[in-house]
Amino acid sequence: MPQVYFEDVQEGQEIPEIKKNCSTQQLVLWAAGSGDFYQIHYDKDFAQGTGLPGLIVHGALKHAFLGQLVHDWIGPGGQIRKFGCSYRGMDYPNQDIRCRGVVKKKFTENGKNLVELDVWTENPDGKKTSPGTATVALPSKA
Amino acid sequence: MADVFEVTDEIKAQYGKETEPWVSEVTTTSVRMYARGIGSTDPLHYDVDYAKSQGFRSIVAPMGYVGTPVFHPDTNDGTFGFPRRGGGARLNLPTKGLLDGGTETEYFDYICAGDTLVETSHLAEVKVRGNMVFVTNEAVFKDQATGKVVAKQRLTSIHLG
Repeated sequence: MPQVYFEDVQEGQEIPEIKKNCSTQQLVLWAAGSGDFYQIHYDKDFAQGTGLPGLIVHGALKHAFLGQLVHDWIGPGGQIRKFGCSYRGMDYPNQDIRCRGVVKKKFTENGKNLVELDVWTENPDGKKTSPGTATVALPSKA
Repeated sequence: MADVFEVTDEIKAQYGKETEPWVSEVTTTSVRMYARGIGSTDPLHYDVDYAKSQGFRSIVAPMGYVGTPVFHPDTNDGTFGFPRRGGGARLNLPTKGLLDGGTETEYFDYICAGDTLVETSHLAEVKVRGNMVFVTNEAVFKDQATGKVVAKQRLTSIHLG
C-alpha cells in the first residue's frame, strides 16, 4: 500500500473508498472471528422472528470495515489513534456497502501530525448507515 | 412516546464501577480469522515474516480487534462469548429487543499476535429516548506483561422496551 504523508493531505479531501458486499458466508466468517454468534446474522427464521425483515450485517463488522478503510489509506507509516461509528441504519447481505471518508481537519499537536476524518458506511440508497469519525497520525516528509 | 426507563441516581452512581478483570488472547489464528471476516488482504494480518519485516512483533490485529475473551462454557455467554463476571454495574433493562448502537476504539499501541490483554469494563453512560435505552460500557485493555493500557473500546447497546 502506498504511504500517505501529512503534507499531501488536504481538508475536504475524500480518501479512497472501499466497497463491501457481504455474503452470508462472510457473516459466518465474521461471527467466528469476532465471537458474536447472535442468530440474526445467519439464521433467517430467527431474524424474522425478532421482527427484522431478514438477516442483517453485524454493526461491529461495519465498524471494522471503517477501520480497514482508514488502515488501508494511511499506509504502513501511519497510525490510527481512534475511530468509531454509531449504527443508524441496517445493512443487509448481498447489498453493496460503500465505506467512505473525508478529511475534516489536519493539525499538529505535541509533535504529532494528526488528521481527523468523517467516516461512514453508505447503503445503495445513499443513506449513511454508520456515521463516525477517525483520528490518525501520519508521517511527515520532513 | 413516554420513556420506558428512568436513569435514576442509583444507576448514575454505578457509572465507573469496574468489573472483575478478564483475559483476552490475541493469537495468529484469531488475527487471521478476524481479518478473513472483514475481507482484508493486507499481509500485515496474515504473514508473520512480512509483519516482522515491517517492524512489528508479529501479525497485526485488524482495527477493532482487541482479542478474544478466554472462553469456558461455565463462565461465558454462549452466543456472544463475553464473560459473565463479578463487579460492574447491575441494571434491570428492558428485554423486548437488543441492537448494536455503536463502537469506538482508541489505540495507545499496536496489538499483535502473541499479546495477552487484561480487560476490565465499566458502565460509562445510560441514555433513554422513548422505548430505546442506550447503554454505553467502556472496556480498558492492558498488556498483561507490562500493565500498559493499549486500547479502550466504548460499546453502546440499545435495549428496546
